[in-house]
Parts: sequence; C-alpha cells; structure tokens
Amino acid sequence: METATREVYWNISHHWVMYVLLVPTMAVALYGVWRHVQRWRAGKPVVRFDRPVMRLKRLIRFGLLQISLWRDPLTGLLHAMLFWGFITLTAATTVVMIHEDLNIPLMQGRFYLYFQSLFVDVLGLLAIVGTLLAGLQRWVLRPRRLVFSGEASCLLLLVFTILVTGYLLEGWRIAVTDDPWGHWSPVGRVVADVSAAFVSDAGLRTAHVVVWWFHLVLVFGFIAWAPYTKMRHVLTAPLNIFTADLDSRAGTLKPLDFETAASFGVNSLEQFTWKELLDLDACTECGRCTDACPAASAGKSLSPRDIILDLQHQLHEADVSVLSAASKAASDPDSGPALPIIDTRPALSPESLWQCTTCAACVEACPVSIEQFPKILDMRRYLVMEEASLPPMLAEAVTSLEQRGHPFRGAQASRTDWTDGLDIPHFRDVEDPEVLLWVGCGGALVDRNQSSTRALARLLQKAGVRFGILGRDETCTGDPARRIGHEFLFDAMARSNVERLESAGVRTVVTSCPHCFHTFRNEYPQFGAHLEVFHYTTYLARLIGEGRLVIDPAVTESITLHDPCYLGRHNGITQAPRDLVGRVTGRPLKEMRQHGAQSFCCGGGGGMSFLEEEADTRVNIERARQVVETGADTVAVACPFCTTMLEDGLGAVSEERSVAVKDIAELLWDSVSSDSSDGDASTDHIDSSDD
Amino acid sequence: MKILVCLKQIPDPEVAPRDFRLDENNLIADPASAGLVTNIFCENALETALQLKEAAGGEITVLTFGPAEAEDVLRKALAVRADHAVHVINPGLLHPGSSGAACVLSAAIRKLGSFDLLMFGREAGDWGEGQTAGLVAEHLGLPFVAFVDSLQTTESGLHIVGQTDSGREELTAAGPVVVSITNSDANVPRIPKTRDIMMAHRRDITTWSLEDIDLTEDLVREAAGSVEVTELFIPEKDTTCEFITGDSADERIDAFARRIVDVIGSI
Amino acid sequence: MGNVISCFLPGTEFDRAAQGLLGAAARLASACQVPHVALAACVSDTMTEALERHADRVVCIRSGLLSNDHPESCLAAFHAACASLDAQTVLLGQDARSQEMTPRLGYRLGGCSIGDAQSIDMTDGGLSVRRSVYGGKAVAVVRASRTPAVVWIRARAFEPAAERSDSVQTEILDVEISDGIAATQVTGRQEESRTGVRLEDAPVIVSGGRGLGGPEPFEELKKLAGVMKAEVAASRAACDAGWVPPGLQVGQTGKKVAPELYLAIAISGASQHLMGITDARVIAAINTDAEAPIFRHCQFGLVDDWKNVVGPLTERIASLLQ
Ligand SMILES: Cc1cc2nc3c(=O)[nH]c(=O)nc-3n(C[C@H](O)[C@H](O)[C@H](O)COP(=O)(O)OP(=O)(O)OC[C@H]3O[C@@H](n4cnc5c(N)ncnc54)[C@H](O)[C@@H]3O)c2cc1C
Ligand code: SF4
Ligand code: SF4
Repeated sequence: METATREVYWNISHHWVMYVLLVPTMAVALYGVWRHVQRWRAGKPVVRFDRPVMRLKRLIRFGLLQISLWRDPLTGLLHAMLFWGFITLTAATTVVMIHEDLNIPLMQGRFYLYFQSLFVDVLGLLAIVGTLLAGLQRWVLRPRRLVFSGEASCLLLLVFTILVTGYLLEGWRIAVTDDPWGHWSPVGRVVADVSAAFVSDAGLRTAHVVVWWFHLVLVFGFIAWAPYTKMRHVLTAPLNIFTADLDSRAGTLKPLDFETAASFGVNSLEQFTWKELLDLDACTECGRCTDACPAASAGKSLSPRDIILDLQHQLHEADVSVLSAASKAASDPDSGPALPIIDTRPALSPESLWQCTTCAACVEACPVSIEQFPKILDMRRYLVMEEASLPPMLAEAVTSLEQRGHPFRGAQASRTDWTDGLDIPHFRDVEDPEVLLWVGCGGALVDRNQSSTRALARLLQKAGVRFGILGRDETCTGDPARRIGHEFLFDAMARSNVERLESAGVRTVVTSCPHCFHTFRNEYPQFGAHLEVFHYTTYLARLIGEGRLVIDPAVTESITLHDPCYLGRHNGITQAPRDLVGRVTGRPLKEMRQHGAQSFCCGGGGGMSFLEEEADTRVNIERARQVVETGADTVAVACPFCTTMLEDGLGAVSEERSVAVKDIAELLWDSVSSDSSDGDASTDHIDSSDD
Repeated sequence: MKILVCLKQIPDPEVAPRDFRLDENNLIADPASAGLVTNIFCENALETALQLKEAAGGEITVLTFGPAEAEDVLRKALAVRADHAVHVINPGLLHPGSSGAACVLSAAIRKLGSFDLLMFGREAGDWGEGQTAGLVAEHLGLPFVAFVDSLQTTESGLHIVGQTDSGREELTAAGPVVVSITNSDANVPRIPKTRDIMMAHRRDITTWSLEDIDLTEDLVREAAGSVEVTELFIPEKDTTCEFITGDSADERIDAFARRIVDVIGSI
Repeated sequence: MGNVISCFLPGTEFDRAAQGLLGAAARLASACQVPHVALAACVSDTMTEALERHADRVVCIRSGLLSNDHPESCLAAFHAACASLDAQTVLLGQDARSQEMTPRLGYRLGGCSIGDAQSIDMTDGGLSVRRSVYGGKAVAVVRASRTPAVVWIRARAFEPAAERSDSVQTEILDVEISDGIAATQVTGRQEESRTGVRLEDAPVIVSGGRGLGGPEPFEELKKLAGVMKAEVAASRAACDAGWVPPGLQVGQTGKKVAPELYLAIAISGASQHLMGITDARVIAAINTDAEAPIFRHCQFGLVDDWKNVVGPLTERIASLLQ
C-alpha cells in the first residue's frame, strides 16, 4: 500500500504569489507588533524576565491550561475550542511549510493520518463550534461584561469564514482527487460527498482555485490586522502571563522613593512601567474583571475593564515619539503630565477611581494576569499626593490618621475601652510574651466591634496564651492611608510602627483585622520588618489544633460565612475561618453564591468605609442580599470593617429577613469549653498594670 | 495684599473623653494625654486667606506664639503654601491666656510691619475664649469684625461677610482690619500636596524670642495675669441612662416631658 | 466699688437672653452690694420699660452716629458710657455683637475680658467665672484680677431676675464719639428664617431614625420640634430612605452637632451616628429596644413606641412651656 500523504498545492498554480503576498502581510503585522513594543519600551524599567522556570510554569497554568477561564463554563469551553483549534491549525500549517518548503517529508504515513488529517480535522470543527458559541454569546446571550464593538464582530466573522473555507477546500480536494485517505478527515469527507453530489469535478476545481485564493487573502488579512485588534492578545497574553509579578500578590502595593520619584503616583502614560503598559495591550476585552467588581455590580460607574481599555486607547493614540521623549525627559513636577490620563475618558474619572474597594476581585478574575486595581491606586496616589484632591470624607480620614493615628473622625472610644474588666496587660509588662495582640482601630474604636475584640482576648486568655497589647501606644498600621493613595503618610506610619515593634521586642503578632494582617505580613517587610504574623482565625485554629482551646459545637443557628477580601483573596486564607465555624456548629456552613477566593467585597475596603455611598448603589447591600439568599440565621465575619458594613447592609434589607452578624471570635467564645487549658494560670505571671 | 494669619497649637479636641487627663498641678491638659494639632478655626482662617490670595494675589505670613513644638503648625501652614512663617517662642508660660497672647502677637506684628488683613480663628478649641483677635485689634488700633466666613476684595476695600445670630451681615473695610474667622462649608481646610509637605520642611522659619520683639517674660506675665486660672477639673459625667418609669403611659410621658422641659429651660 | 453694668446693644429685645443677663447682673450687684446699671443704646420702648423694672439705674446712650450699622461707633459709645459710669463689672449677652465687643471693651476700660461664662461669683480676689474648656471635657474657674472685668455670659443659662414692683426713670447719656468710626461699615444684612438655623448651631435637636418608618412621622417630629424650639435632624437610614433631605444627616458622614439637648427618636445609636453627637450636652432617646446602644449615651430615656409617645409628648411639652 502506498504511503499516506497528499499533494500540497494540487490544484493551485502560481503559488509563488503567496510568498510575494506574505512579505507585505508580515511587514504590516510586524510593524504593528513593533509599534506596540516601542510603546511598552517607553515605560519605566522593571525586572520581569528572571526565574524563567517559575515563569514557564505560570505560563502553562494560565496560558496553556487557562484555568481561570473555566469559572464560566460556556466561556471556558468556547475559548478552549478556539484556542486549541487555532494552535492545531497553526501547527498543521507549519508542518505543511516544513514539508513543502524545506523539503522535509513530514506529511506522510501515520503522522499524516492521525495528526495532520484526523486530529486537525476534528479540532478545526471544534474551533467552528467555538466560533458559533462565541457568536451565540455575543449576539444572543449578550452578557454585560463583553465589549460590543464592530471590531469584535468582524474578527469573529473573519475567523468563522477562514475555518469554513478551509473545510470547503479540503472537501473539494478530497472529492476531485478521490483521496483514498479522505475518510481520515471526516469533516472534509462529508463536505466532499455533499459537494460531489451537486457539482461536477470541473466545477469544484474552479471553485477550489477561487476559494483557495480567497481563503489565503483572509488568512493573510487576519495576520496583518491582528496586532491592531484585540487579537493581539494571542501574543501579548502569554507574554503578560510570563512577565507577571512573581513576588507579591496584587494587593501588595509598592513603596515609593520620595527623594527620587519624578511623580508621586501616575497621571501620564510614561509613568507606568513597561509591564504595566504591556498589561494594557494584553486585555482580551472579556470583561471578567468588571463582572467580578463589587462596585460595578452594585451599579457604580467603576469598571476595571474600561479603565484598562480606556488606558489602552489612550496609549494607542499617544504619539510614540512623544511617549519615548516623555519617558526620557527628567520630568519636572511643575510642568504637568506629558500624556495625561486621569479624567481624559469616562472610565478614568476621579469619581470612578474613588469607588474601588481594592478587593482585587478584578485581578483574581482576569485570565491574562492584568493588574487592574494597582493602576487605580497609582492614579489615586497622583490625585492625593500631587493634586491633594480627594473626597472630603477621605480627606478627613487622612487628617485623622495623621493627627490621631486612627481614621475615625470623632471616635469616642479610647484604644483600651474594650479591655474594661478584662485585665489585659500592656505588651511590655508581659513576661516571656508569646504574641502581641494587635487590636487595630476598627476593633478598638468602633463600639460594635469591641465585643468581638473582647471575645478574642478572652479566648487567648482561656488558652493561656501569654499576650499583651500596645493599648494607647498602638496606632493605625496605615492601611487606609495606603489604599486611599496617601503613600507619604503610609510610609511615615509604617516606619514608625516597624520601629516601635522592633524596640518593643515584638516577634509574633496576632491581628484581629485582616487589613492589619495583610499590611504586617506583606507590606511591612518593605520597611524592614521581620515579624511572624497571624490573623486571629489561623492563630485560634492552631490553638485548637494544639488542644489549648477546646470548642464544643454549641451553636445551633445556621451560619454562612463572609470571606474578608484581605484574608481570602489577598492572602489565600479561606479554610481556617471555615474550620472555626465548623467547630462551633459541628455542621458544614451554608456557602454564599460568591465565597472563598471569589468572595464579594463588603464594600468597606480601600478606605471606602469612610465614604458616604449613594444609597442606591451600595456594595454592602448587594452583599447583604447574598447573605439573605443563603437562608442562614447568622453571617460569620472575621473583620471589624466587614462587621459594620454587613450590619448596615443587612439593616437595609431587613424587610426581606433579619440575619445576625457575628464575629467568629464571638461565636467561638459562646462555644468555648471549660476543658480549655486554664487561662487564669497565665495571668499569674502577667503584671496586670495597664495604663 | 499682605495677609497675616495667627495660628494656635492646641491639644487635640477630638481626643477620646476617656483618654483626656489634666495636669492638676499646672492647671492645664496633661500634654501626654492628647496629641497637638492646629486649632481648627485657625485652619479655617488660613484656608480663607489662601482662597483670597488665589483670587486677588498677595502674600500670607503665618504667626504663632507657642513652645518649640508649635513649629509644627507653621510647617503645616507652609505646606499649604503660606509664604512666610514666624514663630515667637513661649519661654514656658503655662497660661499666657488671651491677654498674654495678644500682647505678644501684637508686638510681633508691629515688628513685621503693616498688613492689610489680620486673620484669627474665632476661638481656640482648648480654652475657647475668643478674645485674642479683638485684643490684638485694640493693641494695634485697628477695626475688628468677628465670626467672618468669607472675604472678597472690591474696589472700595474688603468685602466682609460675617455670621450673626439671625443670619449674615455684610461689611466693607477701607483700610487694614482684624477679622476672626468661623467655619463654613467654603473654608474647610485643604490637605497639602505631598511635594509641598516635603518642601515645607526645608523652608526657613523666623524664630523670635520675647526679647526680639522688645518684650520680657515679666511683661507678658503681667499682661497674662489680668485673668488667672484658679481651678480646673473634669466634671463628673453621668452617662448611665435613667429610664423613665411610671405606672401608666401618661405618667411616663409626663415625666419624660418634664425632664425635657427642665433641659430646655436651662438654655 | 463701682457699678455692675449690664449692656444691651442696639436692637436687643426683651427675650430670654436679656432676662438672663439682667438676672445675672442683678444677683451679682446685690452680692457685692453695689448698684446694677442697665446700659442700653437704640433699643425699643418696650425694652426700655422692661429694663426700668429690672435694674437699679437705666442709662440710655444717645449719640448722633450710633446705630447697629457702626460696630466701631457702638463700641466707642459703650466704652465712653462705661468709663463715665464707674464700672466694676460689665456683663454682656451672648449675641454675636456682644461677643465681638467684649475683649475690646475690656481693653479700652483698662480691665480684663472673659468670654462664655457659665456662672459668675464675686470672691475676695475678684470676679470668679466658671466656664467649660477643652471642648466640654473640663471645667475651669478663672478670676479677673484687674477691674473692670468685662464678661459675656451664656445669658440663656442664667435665671431671670424677679421684676421689681417699682420702676426707675431712664437717664439719657450723651456721648461724643470720634475715633475710627468709619473704619468698617455694615452694607447689608440677611436674616435667615427660623428653620434655617444651622444644625451645628441649634441648641435643641429632635432627630429621627429608621424606626419612624416613613416621611409622614417626620411631620409629627416637626410639630414636636416646633414646641421645643428645636431643629429636626435624622440618622443616615432616614436620610437614605428619602424621608428627609441629606442635609439633616447627623453622624460620622453627616453633621457634627453640639446641642444642649439631643432627642433621638427611633434611632439605634450606631457608632457612626454617635460620632456626630459627641458634643451634645444632654442626650435623650425614645426607642422600643431597651438594649439599643443609644441608651448607653443617654442621660434619660423612654422605652416605648414613638407612635404612642410623640403626639401626647408634644401636647404635654407645649402645656408645660406655657
Ligand atoms: C461608613 C459608614 C458611615 C456611616 N455614617 C453614618 C452617619 O453619618 N450617620 C448615621 O446616622 N449613620 C451612619 N451610618 C449608618 C449606621 O451604621 C447605621 O446604619 C444607621 O445610623 C442606622 O440608622 P437608624 O438608627 O435610624 O436605624 P436602625 O439601626 O435600623 O435603628 C432603628 C431603631 O429604631 C427602633 N425602633 C423601631 N421601631 C420603633 C418604634 N416604633 N418606636 C421606637 N423605636 C423604634 C429600633 O429599636 C432601632 O433601635 C454609617 C454607616 C457606615 C458603614
Ligand atoms: S479591586 Fe475590586 S473594587 Fe477595585 S476595580 Fe477591582 S474588582 Fe473593582
Ligand atoms: S482586564 Fe482582564 S479580565 Fe478585564 S477585560 Fe481585560 S482581559 Fe478581561
């Protein structure tokens, strides 16, 4: 039997014309790519090609397996079909080139039959199904998150036509040549049989020539055009995934060098790093970020997708020479931004920038590792530090932080009010201390949270933990300042806190607030801190594990859990709170629609709990509805800000059903067993003096 | 226009009531119990001055009389772009009071030269006397308007709007005038730009001793002595709620009404 | 020994403040066994008659230039009059113009000045004044060691004086004023309607919360506020519901108020709300829930449904205030 193969050009003469056409095609495409590269190069330097193995692993996870796409099954499926279809078709075309142009006979035998014929044929079909699904989504289902542009529709039609014409060509060739291996290409075979039934061989031959050239023009057109459309993500997405920040989670903001920085924050394109500019070109317009964004979901104007796209448009409109000149010029702060961005387009309005809760849902959702909210933060920094323009309520929070070390204007409580009758020593008076309990402003100064803080302290006492507090010596970690964008204030607060902890000899910190936890754990190292940091949920879980604390499942009400963004998404801690709630009920909890790493913000992060939100677009009400939906009697929380936001939100939807808000520490304290190691022993050697 | 704004540093009025303590010996707030801040009405005055300068041009000099730490209020003023800062050091007088302060401030102002507008906060958040501005006006022989919340330059001089008990009053002043500023939605103090904060730390501050302005400690003490502090204490505040009880609803409402009328009657 | 002089500036009416000022001056004068002279300028005839029934002497300043439109001439006239009347203590009311004049008058008379007196007493060392300081967190007693002491007092907080059976004859005092008269000129005046009093300045506030359940109950609250001469405010929950305009919101993200009395009706007392009323002197509440946090900050409270209370309470207070 003859070796299975096929003739490449078969019916086509003058195929050299194709090579001639390839030159301008590639020229146009490469010019497009080159222009992008030029623009990225105008960004500030940052090292992102180190540790290639780690980066490659990331690329495989997010680029090849596209794990984050599968959260929406339809999209995951259709994109996988298109993605693998295209990879396969491109590979097949490459094989043809190697076979024909390099004269290396690859297209034969088993490989030809299994891969080049059968596999390619099936994958191509899947790609067609993929485009059909995409069409269904785009033109029928029309989810809000998509961008409905002419460009996107054109691209989809183009891809569809390319795929379909490909099958026509294959089928007609099989029909005319009566290809003995035709049945290895099942789709082609069907096309062949159907066509042969209606059209003569000669007719098919002519049609084949015409459609072949048509197909070629479409393919070349697609190649040339792609870099100028969102299809550029075929290149930029993997690159962006490869060059992602390996060192810190997105919520870890970068410090600024105030002596050398040309601009405090960003309001001009060249003030971004090249990677941040690359981010803009990696966007696939999929809209997952905006879909996940709590502010957008609550009906506010903020849209992380549109921020990225508006910045991208701004970037594409920028004159490359102006851009690179701006990046070279030693910027003079008084001359103003060269290529301004804030408020130049609707999505970049300060109003929207002041709606971000820094919850990082956008970053978590983005399939191509774009960092949306750090850019929002960069622009906020500019507004706050360069223009001193921020909403009055936030200005008051900032002033209060500066003057009294906490963000609550008019707080009536003192830092130690919650300790009344509890005998909590100052850290300095504890002999051989195990941990510092960092109470935080929310846990100490807000009436409602004092009972949570008391519960936590009593649990620690019960477990016999040798701990102390800083009492009046505690000041805010600076988290609100940093998220609002006042890096200068944060810098000062961080430095003084690190120094204070250092000189007090603190090594281990347990925080009641996830924001404090995040700041201590991920951001204070930027200022030289070497601390072991626990959020109280993990610490208590550990005490229970060690048998120092015994919890009886005493709680009978049904419970759902709200994952604080700065615990779950920002720090990956989702299990400890679940374990603790499980302890007190002895049952699995009722999960909310969005939970764990996909949790929906309470609306209080990023300084937003100090802002007055419009009544009809409140994030906490949105979340409260999700709480009510679960049918649970109580929502367990592990953050003082979440507590206030949810209580407020649940109050507003209480006509639906009333749900209690309880801190996990409160739930545990209600269920603590008398078998726990006797806490009173610990006070023996603890000096009880507390100022 | 040459504008002078006097600023006072005070213990943070927003300190939590339970944190607030007194230094019983010296009859002042315990300096350790509250942070130090710029008096809010002084900040309102500075904000009004900055807006006036932005509208009509001019130069702003800020002046404070206080201990070494009071330099902070001047740095903050420089950070929002006051042009000059003058610090008269308080050598340790615990109770300069309004009359002592007015004596010092007017001596410093005389040395600084003439101003078109001299601005003060309506009162300070610590002793809340509201006397200093009027006293300085007298020392300098200038007219005075209190509770001003907006200022404009016009051809016939300064157009001044002040708050009165029943509304507002508009005045014009042809020559130099002393005003005390009260808060309004238009003079909420701005926050400084970071670069300006950094610059403010490098700016020069004119520092004078009492002798530099031809005064002595004794002279100030004598002026201050016209009003002496004899007692200072924290009042007992009864925060336990008395629930009004009674056998019938009418009785309870009657008792409640009486309590309310008691309070209203004492105003 | 000199006289105790109470000052009534142009336009003063015989209201609660004027009564308190007369009472304070009369009591101080009798404690010192000196005459109480009521000094007035450009006041109505009814006012003069009232003064004649309350003071040992009534002196009315007459001067061509004098009117309320000339702050500087007003000051000059009162200065000249006080100087000629041998002042030992000069008391003024708490109106803006009196506050403005106090330090200047003290300075011109070669004495001293004190503001915001909550009580006054004569001691061996001089006039002793009690006033609250540090934002109400502390109380100070200060002594005027130089005479005359010029003091403005929280007039409404002082007991009115008893009316005398006889009345004195008003004396007319002609004063010559010359210096600095035209330095400032009042060019306009706008009166704000009673309801326009800023919440921050309101001495009494009646505030409503979510528990009211709608905009109509606020009409009832307004009636209650009317008899109490109070302003109406609200919690955010009530503002958000659109029952009242947002300008009425009190709290962390609303107004910070400092009334003598804050009556919270159907407000739970969330800490954000409480942050707006730190400076209230007396807080009272009506709430169905005895555990509501607001009660922890109240001097007195009533655990009841507002629906049963507000109407009868309005009538009761109205009749008590008659
Ligand atoms: C960032 C942030 C800022 C905020 N800023 C403010 C602010 O500035 N000002 C503010 O007020 N809030 C503010 N809040 C909201 C605050 O947390 C509360 O949600 C709000 O104050 C609740 O208002 P309320 O007391 O009227 O309602 P609720 O808390 O719902 O209380 C209603 C009360 O009415 C009582 N009640 C019900 N029916 C009756 C009846 N028939 N008779 C008598 N009593 C009855 C109930 O017992 C309850 O105590 C803020 C919240 C956040 C998160
Ligand atoms: S961080 Fe959260 S609030 Fe901010 S843009 Fe992203 S999803 Fe929206
Ligand atoms: S930024 Fe990411 S998630 Fe958002 S639209 Fe672009 S690709 Fe999608």
